[in-house]
Order: sequence, then structure tokens, then C-alpha cells
Amino acid sequence: MDFVVALLRASINSATPILLAALGGAFTYYANVFNIAMEGMMLTGAYFGVIGSYFFGSWEVGILFALVSSLLLSLLFSLFAIYLRSDEFVTGIAINMLALGGTTYLLRSTFHVKGAFISPKIIGIPSWNFGFLHDVPILGSILGGYPFLVYVSFLLAVVVDIVVFRSRFGLRLRAAGEEPTATRSLGINPTTVRLVSALLSGVFCGLAGAFLSLGYVNLFSENMSNGRGWIALAIIILVRARPLGILILSLLFGFFEALGIVLQNSPIPPQFTSMVPYVATLFALYVYARRKRKVSITAEVGDD
Amino acid sequence: MRGIYKVYPPEVVALEDVIWELRKGEIHSIVGENGAGKSTLMKILAGLIKPSAGSMYVKGEEVSFSAPHQAIRKGIGMVHQEFMLIPSFRIYENVILGSEKAVTNNVGFINSVKARNMVKEVAERYGFQIDVDAVTSEVSVAMQQKVEILKQLYRDVDILIMDEPTAVLTPQETEELFERLRELNRRGKTIVFISHKLDEVLQISDRITVLRKGRKIGTVDNDGITKRELANMMVGRDVVFTVSKSSSSAGKRVLSVRELTVRRDNSIELGPLSFDVREGEVVGVAGIEGNGQFELVEALIGTLPVCGGKIYIDEVEITHMSTRQRRRYMGFVSQDRKYTGLALQSTIMKNMIMTHHISRAFAKMGFAINWGKVGEFSRTLINSYAVICRGTNEPVSTLSGGNQQKVVVAREFSLDVPFLLLDQPTRGLDVGTIEFIHRKILQMRANGMAILLISAELDELFTLSDRLLVMRSGKIVAELLPNLTTKEDVGAYMLGVGGHE
Amino acid sequence: MLGPICWVSVVMSRFNKFFVGGIGIAVGLLVSVFVIKIQGNSPAEVYRVLFDYSIASSFSWISTLDNTTPLILTGLSAAIAWRAGAINLGQPGQFLMGAIVAALLGIYLPFPGWISIPVILTASALGGALWSGFAALMRQRYGMDEFVSTLMLNFIAEYSTTYLVTYPFLDPKAYVASTVAIKKAFTLSTVNQFNEGFYVAVAVAVVSWWVVEKWRIGYEWEMMGLNLRFARVGGCKVSDNYMWVMLYSGALSGLAGGLLILGGTQHRFMKGIGGNFGWDGVMLAMIGNNDVSMTALFALFFGALKSGGIGMEFETGVPSEFIMVMEAVIVVSVVATRSVIEFYGGRVKAFLKARKVVKR
Repeated sequence: MDFVVALLRASINSATPILLAALGGAFTYYANVFNIAMEGMMLTGAYFGVIGSYFFGSWEVGILFALVSSLLLSLLFSLFAIYLRSDEFVTGIAINMLALGGTTYLLRSTFHVKGAFISPKIIGIPSWNFGFLHDVPILGSILGGYPFLVYVSFLLAVVVDIVVFRSRFGLRLRAAGEEPTATRSLGINPTTVRLVSALLSGVFCGLAGAFLSLGYVNLFSENMSNGRGWIALAIIILVRARPLGILILSLLFGFFEALGIVLQNSPIPPQFTSMVPYVATLFALYVYARRKRKVSITAEVGDD
Repeated sequence: MRGIYKVYPPEVVALEDVIWELRKGEIHSIVGENGAGKSTLMKILAGLIKPSAGSMYVKGEEVSFSAPHQAIRKGIGMVHQEFMLIPSFRIYENVILGSEKAVTNNVGFINSVKARNMVKEVAERYGFQIDVDAVTSEVSVAMQQKVEILKQLYRDVDILIMDEPTAVLTPQETEELFERLRELNRRGKTIVFISHKLDEVLQISDRITVLRKGRKIGTVDNDGITKRELANMMVGRDVVFTVSKSSSSAGKRVLSVRELTVRRDNSIELGPLSFDVREGEVVGVAGIEGNGQFELVEALIGTLPVCGGKIYIDEVEITHMSTRQRRRYMGFVSQDRKYTGLALQSTIMKNMIMTHHISRAFAKMGFAINWGKVGEFSRTLINSYAVICRGTNEPVSTLSGGNQQKVVVAREFSLDVPFLLLDQPTRGLDVGTIEFIHRKILQMRANGMAILLISAELDELFTLSDRLLVMRSGKIVAELLPNLTTKEDVGAYMLGVGGHE
Repeated sequence: MLGPICWVSVVMSRFNKFFVGGIGIAVGLLVSVFVIKIQGNSPAEVYRVLFDYSIASSFSWISTLDNTTPLILTGLSAAIAWRAGAINLGQPGQFLMGAIVAALLGIYLPFPGWISIPVILTASALGGALWSGFAALMRQRYGMDEFVSTLMLNFIAEYSTTYLVTYPFLDPKAYVASTVAIKKAFTLSTVNQFNEGFYVAVAVAVVSWWVVEKWRIGYEWEMMGLNLRFARVGGCKVSDNYMWVMLYSGALSGLAGGLLILGGTQHRFMKGIGGNFGWDGVMLAMIGNNDVSMTALFALFFGALKSGGIGMEFETGVPSEFIMVMEAVIVVSVVATRSVIEFYGGRVKAFLKARKVVKR
């Protein structure tokens, strides 16, 4: 039983950064912005979260730094991809490279270490323990005691859903993404809307990064995001950015990642367990593609 | 509007020194051929485009719009040729989009009940029957147009601009639209009607302005002016409405379609269809868009699988051949040159050799292409088709629409094949290019090419076809001889009315 | 005042290809100067060292070309695939696959050197092709976007190869997880002071250029990349071409991996080998705008940067990771420059034409 509880707890911890990033990415999805830069923004957020926390001795500053850095990066992305109309794909990957190179270099030059930086002076995000949960038998140990960002992110899933589908901003967001010409004819500037969506995504990725480095571990390692940005993107595509779907899939991937970690204590070589989330993504992609095929209209005739 | 100019990147002059005025309470039409600048001028009025030079006055006061909502505030609204609607939204959402103030609360959330009621109220006030809850992509095109009009009425416009509204409507829907417009006019709305269909313009307008190549030619009152006079103003010379065609001398069967059936989502979209096209013959296909023509074209070129029947060219069965294989037998001019007929960012030369690149004539050492020959080939074609350009290494995107289509036509017509499939080959082109292409088609016909021509322009079909097939609901409902039938008859078959089912 | 601006923009749009790359690099270097200064080092010093260690002496040239070899190949791998509309982002994984194949065959192959080397190189190319081909197959059969699958396969390749050198093929005497060195006879040496591997890479690049620019399949690839429907309707063998370009692309990256093992300095597969060569290739394709010759040229530039970077760390203490930052900044600048020119170039022309017309 302890094993199951540990597994579920690990799942929720693993799911949170992906959930946050994917929720932010939902905004860009609806605005029809191909946001590949989530990986880089998350990584940047993770690094600067540690900087803020270490040098100022507080997790609040850490989160602040994470948000600002990620926001700046999304601003850069927006400038090129949205305002200057360069290719979103190329710009996104360039930003990721910048984040990877930049954080690896800064890790080395600021802390004079290679690989990872660990220090007790990094203050992590505090956990919330709900008193009443102590008495609830099993659920109590699963639901309580996480860094509070976890609860925030679950709440955000609901908030994002409401905002996108019931608010004026959400209406305009979806309009701008689906038909920018039509939207422009109504006096709404789709470019501004897309810019805002990218910035929002930056904020969410900053939070995700902060959780990575200040959440249940307090450290920064090279390339810490390790593909989570890509997985978030895959999730968004799979569920068409519906927040409920994002929540469910994030938990699922969190579970796979946790499974990989937990299995490290088993005789299975650690590399295979690390592979689990990526194989899972491939499999999810397969399922998605099969479902989409059934409604496809034109097909190839007698391909040679 | 005075002294209006509009220049587009890189160097296209859309409007030149246009002076125009609109009187309150009239229905004013603006006519001209494709590319004359009608839409552009009105878009400037509606605030979508800024003029490169010139000034505008509304009710005596000088205005300058940098965004459509400013024009709307002055009472000017426009219903576009391509609808500006969000397909996945419900109708009421599309109507309120951009002007949600009335139905939004302080926190930014929309009161959908209130929105629905407000839109319903406006619709009823002007006599429109609209289900405001329906999803926009699921209603008919005519209904979508009504939603567009409703959008403007919701915003209390006085001047309503309609850009080519009848292009997407059936004759009955056009009548209904005219009724609506007259009703709105009676209630004091001023209407601007952009069209290139002279019959309709003469039916509905009080005054008519003619534009040609970005300049205003003149404004006339609609009392007694004839179609011919208008056409001459539009084109600048006496328009020959038909190109002369030699008598038919059809030879053996080239294209043979037998019981062709195409399915989509469990319903039969096409067929069973059977017809032939012979050597040296042009077979025209008339029909309202959406009655199986798309499926026919796709089945013929091999991008849609056939679930029944056979297709033969020169006795060879091509029904299940890949596109590459069947391209040895057919040329194809698609209905949209931008997405199917050309690679816009590429050079004229590279666009010119598509499909030709497969043949051994241009091969070098088996795997490579002889680019020298390709260059010669494209230069020759540019000359014989009078394509105006700076050289074959220019990107095709710098050409005008007419010249782009000439590149497509030059390429396809010069293939060494027995059969040509033409889908709306002259859509959106100026009269000069249309004439040129028509002449080329007849030339091909005289050389023994078998041609299948699908078109929405009855004039074109009557001019060029030896035989005319009418399609409705995926089947051929009539086979007519153009010199023995009338356009009204064909129209009736297209709609399935009055004894022509 | 308007005159010179107009003149510059007209000139710029004509020499687009070179200008964009050149300006991008210039901007990148400029920004780097700025960053170096902030960190408290001397930009002049840094650039002098970079120059010294990359192209100043024949010894540094060897190092530069050593680095350029895999970069040319991974760069072309990305460029050629993308040009055809196949979004292959799997260079890192395909590189590793090629490398592991080379490392293992290099240990066990019983043939003499002159047979084995070509065999090993071909096998590594095939290894890379297998990895990209797998993603391509998933796309053809199941409609799975290769963009996501190649990315995931990168991670899977990384973990799989790490496993192989940590357990079954581990060299017990090694400090870091790695295989035993390959047979001496299989290592590539230098010819005329230049690493043999470099010649192979250049030869492959030239052949690639020929195929891409002059062959029928190269033409079809280009058209597919620009407008897939146009290509399909025009009779291009779209499915076959897609598979070929993915296989070729993977083979290039795989070959890069193989050359690194046979050439280079280590001659064994170590965990973490190949550094950033895969992603650098991606960056190169972006800078070179998927053009074969441009990409290869910039590969040389990056190779020089990398060599210079090692020296930079020795002499000035600036960590070599800074090169990664420089590269990324250059990529971003190039992309930005390209967009700015396209965006404003057209507008300037329209503005000028309007003035001409109105004056009439």
C-alpha cells in the first residue's frame, strides 16, 4: 500500500510541471501559435528560480525570477514569430537552443559547477499540509503535503477552462486563432491576441520551471526540463487543448514518469525506466493518429 | 472619396486617383472586371485598408479610418465576399464578436443568455429568420450571408456595402437577397453593391459606377443604360462576347468514364456516372458547385479513391493508377492556381516543368534533370503564351493572376497527352487573359486534344463546348448541344426545376 | 535621406542568401561582445583566442575540420529533410545510432582495415537511416507526426545507447561508461594534415548538393516542401520521396556518428559522446535556410567556433559552453534578420512605388 501511495504522490509531483506548461500552451494553441519554445521557457524558469531563491534566500523571489525570465523569453519569441512574422517553428527551436546554451553556460559561470548545482541555500516552495487530511486514511496521504504550486495548478486547470470558453478574452482568443482575417475585420487585432497568448504561456512555463527546480527537489541540473516541454506540446495536440483533457493526460504522463523512477530500484536497468515517458508519448501519438485516420477524407490512390 | 490611391507591395497599383460619391438612401453599384479595384476601394471606405493617398468625407466631415470599428462608428459596414465568420462559433457569438460590450459583465465574462436575446431582437426587427443558436459552419451559405448582414445591423450601420454577394447564391437565394436589400433600403439604409454581373446590377441599382484597372471611368444613372454599354466602359473597347469556334470534328474516344462512383463518409457523392470525351472535342460540365464536380475532378486525377466503376484513357484503364502514372495521359488545370496549380515561392521555370520533369526528354544521366533544356523550354513557353515577367528565374508570386494562370495553362497544354482536364480555368481573370486562354483551348481542340471543361460561367461553356453535360447531386442530368439549347434551359437543369428533373 | 535606405534595401533583397547569414553572424558576434564585457572579460582577448585556436595555425585547422566533419553532415541531414517538408528533428538520436554501430563493429569486425572502414561507415549510415526510417514508417503507416516521433526517439536512442555501454559492452577499465576502443587498423588518420573523415564529409556534401539541386528527386523534394498538393497533383511520387528523404537524412547523421568514432580522438563510444552535434546541425540548417551549400559553409564557421571555444576556456577562463550561447544568438539573429528584410523590404518597395504613381 505504501508503494502505491508513494507512486501516486510521485505521479502528482511529476505531472505538475507538464500540467502547468500545457495549460499555458493551451492559450497559444487556441490562438494558433505553434509554441515550441515551451521547453526552453521552462528550462529558463527553472534556472532563474534557483538564482532568485539562492541569492535572496526566499522562494518568493525565486518564483518571481522564474516568471520574469520566462516572460522575457516569450517576449523574444513573440517579437520574432508574431510581430516580425518569422517562422514560428524555427524561432521556437532557436529560443530553445538559446535557453539550453544560456542556462548551461550560466550554470558554469555563476556557480562554477558542471552538471548540477545543489545547495542547502536554495529555498524550495513550501508545502501545504491540510490538518483535516491527516485523519483521512488513504486519500489523506495522497492528497496532502505537496508544494502549494501543485494545488494552484489544479485550480488553474479549471480557471483556464472558464476563461477560454466563457470570457470575452477567450472568445476573441479563439476567434483570432481560427480566423485571423475575420477577427481583424471586426476591429480586433489578432496579432495582439496572439502576443498575449504567448506571454501567458511564458508565465505558465515560468511557473512550471520554478516547480521543477524549487518544488520537490531543490536544485538545477543541465537541461533539467529534459523534454517535458515537448511532452506538454504533444498533450496539447492530443486533446486539442481542452483543459480537462490536459489535466488527465498530464496525470497519466506523471504516472509514467513516476513509474520510471520507482522502477529504478528494481533489477531493470535505469535507462529503460527513464525511457518510459518518451515511449508513452509515442504510444499516445499512435492512438491519436489512429483515431484521426478514421475521419480522414482524401487518401492516396494506388501509391507507387 | 477624393483622389484615392492604393499601392500594394511590391509594386502593384490597385487604385489610381479615384473620385467617388455616395448619396444617402440610394442603392449604388460598383462594377468592373476582376482586379479593377472595386473591393479595394470599398475596403478603404470600410476602414480595412488605408489609402496610400487621398481623402474621405462622411456627411461632410473628413474622416480617416485605421481600423474597421472606426468606420462602423461612422455608420459604415461591409459584408465581404469571403465571409468573416468563425466556423466553430454559434451564430450569436459571431454577431457579437468584437462588440461584446453590451453583454459582458465587469469581470470580463459573457452573459450568453443576454447575448442570444439581443441578437434575436435585431434579427426580428429587420425581418430575418435566423436561429441564433446554430453553429455557423453547419448552416447554408445563404444563411451565413444573412448572419454577415445581421452583424452590421447589430452595430447600427447606415451604409451597408455588399461585396459580390451573389457569387455564392442560387438564383432563388439571389432574389431573396434583393428583397431583403430593398427592404433595408426602404428603411433608410444606403446600400453599395459590388459586382461584375451586369444583369443583376441593372436590376437593383439606382446609380452605377464603373472602375477599370484602378481608375474610375464614370458614374451613370440606371435609366436605360444597356449591358453592352456598361461592358464597354468596363473593358475599354468593344467587347466580343464570344470567340468563334470551328465546327466539331470529333474523332475516336479518348476519355471513357463508366459507372464511376465515389463515396465520402458513407454517402455516395458521385455517380454512377458514365460519359465519353472524344479526340478534338470539348465536353463542358455545368452545375452548381458542390454537386459532385469536386469528386469528379479528384477521382480523375487520382487523389480520391474510386469505389465503383472505371476510367479509361486511350483504352488504358487508369482507375486505380497513381497520380504519377496517370499524368502520362492527362493534363490538369486546377481551379485554384495558388494552392494546387503553382508553388508560389518558386521560380517560373521550376513551376513550368512540373510533370514535364518526369519525362525522359528532360533527363540527364537517368537521375538528373537537364536544366539547360528546362531553361530553353520555359523561355519558349513564356514567349508563346505572352507571359509578362522579368525572366524565368523570377518567383511566380510576382506575376499577376492572369499571368500566373498562363504559366499553369502553358505547362499543362504543352504536355504530350491525349486528354486535358480543365477546372474553372478562367476564374478571377481579366477579360484579355480569358480571351487568350479560350483561344488556346480551341487551338488544342483543333489539334485533336480531348478536353473536359468544368466551369461555373455558362457563357464560357456555351462558347467552347461541343457538348454540354449538366451535373446535379453527383449525376449527369442532361446532355445538351449548346447551339440547340438556351442558358435558361441549362440553369433549369442545374436547379432541377420545372420539368427538368 | 530616404535614398540610401532604399538603395540598401534593394541591394539587400538581391543578395539575400549571403547577407542574411552574414548580418546574422555579425549581430550575433556583436551581442556576444556585449555579454563577454558584462561577465568582466575582454572581448578583444576572447576573439583573438578564438581566432588563434580555430584557424590561425595548421594544428588548429585540424581541430576545426575535425569539428566541421560531423557538423556538415548533421546540418545537411536537417536541411535536406526540412527542405522536402519532412520535419526530421532526430539528428541527435540518429547520430548516436550511427556511432554505436561504428563502435561495436569497430571492436568485433574480423576483416582488414581497407574493407572494414567502408563497411563500418556504411553500417553507421544505415544505422542512422534505420532510426529515421522508423519515424518515417510510423508517419506513413499510422499518420504519426514525425516532428514528435523523431524528438522522442532522440531520448530513446540516448538511453538505449547509454544502457549498452554501461552494461553489456562496458569497458571495465574505463572511468566513464564506455566501450573498448576500436581496432587500431580501423581508425582514420590524416591525409595531407587533414583528417580523412573530413574528406568523406566533403565528398558526401558535394554528392548531396548534386542530388538536391540537379536530380529529379531533388526537384520533387523541393516542390514537396513548398507545396505538397502541387507536387502530388503534378505527379511527384510523394510517399516514396518522403521515405527516401527521411532515410537519406538519417543516413547523413548516422554517418556523422560513425566518422566521429573512427576519426576524432577517442575511438570509442563513451556516454555523452557527440556533445551537441545533433542540435548544432539543426541550428545550421536554420541559419543556412535549408540550402545545401550555405549550410555546409556555416558548418565550417561553427566548427571553427567550437575549436576556438576550447582554447578560449584555456586562456581566458570563459567556459566553452559560451560557444553554445553564441551559436544560439547567431541563429536567433539570422532568423530575425531574414524576417525583418522580408517584412520591411516589401513595404519599402510599395511605399516607393506609391510616391512614383502619385507624382504622376
